[in-house]
Amino acid sequence: MNKLLLGLAFAGLAAPPLSAKWKLLPETMPVAVAKSAMKVMPGQGWNSWSFRPGKKSELWSYDGPVLNQIEFIGGVVDGEPFAKERNKKDKPLPKFNSKMLPTDIAQAYEQTQRIVTRSPDFTIDSMEPVTFAAHPGVKFTFHFTRPDEELTRKGEARGAIIGGKLYMITYTAAALHYFDAHLAQAQAIMDSAKVD
Amino acid sequence: MNRWAALLAAGAVASASASTSGAAGPVPVGSPAVAGYQPVGVDEQGLWGEMAEAERALKVSKLLVRDEELTSYLRKVLCRVASADACQTVRILIVRDPQFNAGMTPNGMLLINSGLLLRVRSEAELAAILGHELSHFERRHSLARLKAARSATGWAAFLGAAGAGPLGLALIGNFFSFSQEQEREADLDGLKGMRAAGYRSRSAGDIWANLRAEMDATAAARNVRSRKDKRGMFDTHPATAERLAYLRSSTVDDPEGEAGEAAFRAAISPLWPMLIDDQVKLNDFGGSEYLLAGLATSGWTGPLLYARGELYRYRGQAGDFEKAAGFYREAIAKPDAPAGAWRGLGLALARTGDGAAAKASIDEYLKRNPQASDKAMLAMISGGSQ
Repeated sequence: MNKLLLGLAFAGLAAPPLSAKWKLLPETMPVAVAKSAMKVMPGQGWNSWSFRPGKKSELWSYDGPVLNQIEFIGGVVDGEPFAKERNKKDKPLPKFNSKMLPTDIAQAYEQTQRIVTRSPDFTIDSMEPVTFAAHPGVKFTFHFTRPDEELTRKGEARGAIIGGKLYMITYTAAALHYFDAHLAQAQAIMDSAKVD
Repeated sequence: MNRWAALLAAGAVASASASTSGAAGPVPVGSPAVAGYQPVGVDEQGLWGEMAEAERALKVSKLLVRDEELTSYLRKVLCRVASADACQTVRILIVRDPQFNAGMTPNGMLLINSGLLLRVRSEAELAAILGHELSHFERRHSLARLKAARSATGWAAFLGAAGAGPLGLALIGNFFSFSQEQEREADLDGLKGMRAAGYRSRSAGDIWANLRAEMDATAAARNVRSRKDKRGMFDTHPATAERLAYLRSSTVDDPEGEAGEAAFRAAISPLWPMLIDDQVKLNDFGGSEYLLAGLATSGWTGPLLYARGELYRYRGQAGDFEKAAGFYREAIAKPDAPAGAWRGLGLALARTGDGAAAKASIDEYLKRNPQASDKAMLAMISGGSQ
């Protein structure tokens, strides 16, 4: 329960219904994520949360979302934000546009995270081209610290615009130990992404 | 969340002991801002104990701006408006947070947000804020708030509402909300300090006039109603309009005094690139435009034009990429143009469909910044733009 509550604080989410559950994913069967056309192969040990952080996203974790999490963003269309917009009037989020360059996607993700997590030090550490779900896409790494904790998190994201829609997978974990511990697994999940 | 509830959660141990000891006991008198001061009575001792612990944690925070030169400048200004004792005892920490805010803990730790430093325009405005915060400390405003809040609802209600949480910067920064009377008292104390130091006391009102104008600019660009006269549920500060009015009326007959704009700029400008970048990434187009224009009152520099280009490019509405390209070009024409201006120009041109010019600009950026962390991505965009 504690982990779950902390997870909420971390993700900046509204309270999920009490019925929200974590479910262990099948190791070797592709699963559809974020109620979208994206499918990935989970591999061993990952759990999916029945409470989705946004209409077009889904959250997985290995050890609990405070320590590590994978967020899937699937099928975002023109004019939609990268995360759930909780305060449209006072904290509007940047919106997706299908003409975005790969650098624009990373940029909009950074802005979104700076607003949602209030992390003033969010920094993109590297960015390079990558093939994502058989399409040309972007891979970038980042780190940030939330002001209500003193824990630096690292992340790696990959995404592409496919058929005019944004598909992204981001892996975020505590920089100390947890990021490295599950990075290879997270990368395998990203490599397995297919968009039909 | 009630800020006091959060504080009391953090101070649960001190709180519990206070409730059993009762409110009676020695009452602290005189200013606590003297060297070697020992807190008096169970409430003050409890607050100081908790805050000493929080301060130890904060001093190693990753979100502090550790700039000795800037901190000693802030201290120099504080010392002009403070007594010699207060000057020695108050600790100043600069917090990396793009919002306008400052705070004072009951044991004399003064927190200043980086976003405040971006908005303040002169040494006199800074002196007003430092003097105001010092007054909260010297008058023990937080202790008075704690006692008032406790007698109204009782410890148990607070503790029940508080829950548990880490005592991070976000909480500390929000702990000390004071009553309207206390804020007013601190404002007027701030003015006294400014006058004694020869600062332009009218600058205290300028802070609020500027903030109100910024809130209007933010709202206009978002097509929503300005928040300048809005108060949050727990916001006990006087409304900015009221504050502006009494600061203006109390200073109308004061001599002009020293504004110290150049001195302030000289001290803050090394930090500008970070402060501006943090602001521009907040998706607050109108407010950011307003702030950039304020910084550019004595002329648009290369870094300011670059930031304006970034602001338009990030927004990316119809016509924004063309305008952004224009600002980047103006930046590039200045001797102090940051390398990022070529990157921004290339990316803006790529969005307008001018592939050849985009490629030329990105290639120039990569020549100027061969170690760029996104060079592989940029090289691909440049190649695809031919």
